[in-house]
Amino acid sequence: MQRRLRSRSFRRVYVKTPGGDVVIHYKKRKPKSAHCGKCGAVLKGVPRELPYKLGKLAKTERRPERPYGGVLCSGCMRALFIKEARGK
Amino acid sequence: MIEIGRVCIKIAGREAGKKCAVVDVIDDNYVLIDGDVRRKRCNVKHLEPLEEVIKIEKNASHDAVISELKKLGVDVKEKKAKEKKEKPKRVKKTAEAKEEKPKKKVKEKKEKKAEEKKAVKAKKK
Repeated sequence: MQRRLRSRSFRRVYVKTPGGDVVIHYKKRKPKSAHCGKCGAVLKGVPRELPYKLGKLAKTERRPERPYGGVLCSGCMRALFIKEARGK
Repeated sequence: MIEIGRVCIKIAGREAGKKCAVVDVIDDNYVLIDGDVRRKRCNVKHLEPLEEVIKIEKNASHDAVISELKKLGVDVKEKKAKEKKEKPKRVKKTAEAKEEKPKKKVKEKKEKKAEEKKAVKAKKK
């Protein structure tokens, strides 16, 4: 094993090769999942991937297709628009 | 609170934050809406009613709703049909175009290599 890979800052992925062996692949850890900017809940519909993998996705696959999609959770977004409409 | 002509704001989905008017009340939960949104059935829970009411008939047309909404100062984005662009047609390659391809170079290179090999062999002998 390469010395630099001994660090636990890499995650270990067990891969079964065509020959039947199980080998370990060392990969970078995934970033923290996206959270709502207001209440801090985990956002649904936002993939938890490294930036280079997100770049491969279509824009519509990266966040929900609504105002504040990928920033606020749906409940907080609704609350915001209701507040705006009632003017309070 | 929710009747025909009531102006609402959508608070859910892709059209959240946009203004619309109730065109028809389907049942306790659902209404038909139109305006700055797609004309479709909508859950009452996904609407936030406003103070304004516009004068429209039941099942009023899209244009009628838009003209009434514009009087209230609601910006309604109108859809524009895309202009069709002509795609450049594929032209079949003529016999002349094929001849122009620089295939000769490869042959020349091969011949050169063969000659070199022969020369090397001759030297060895």
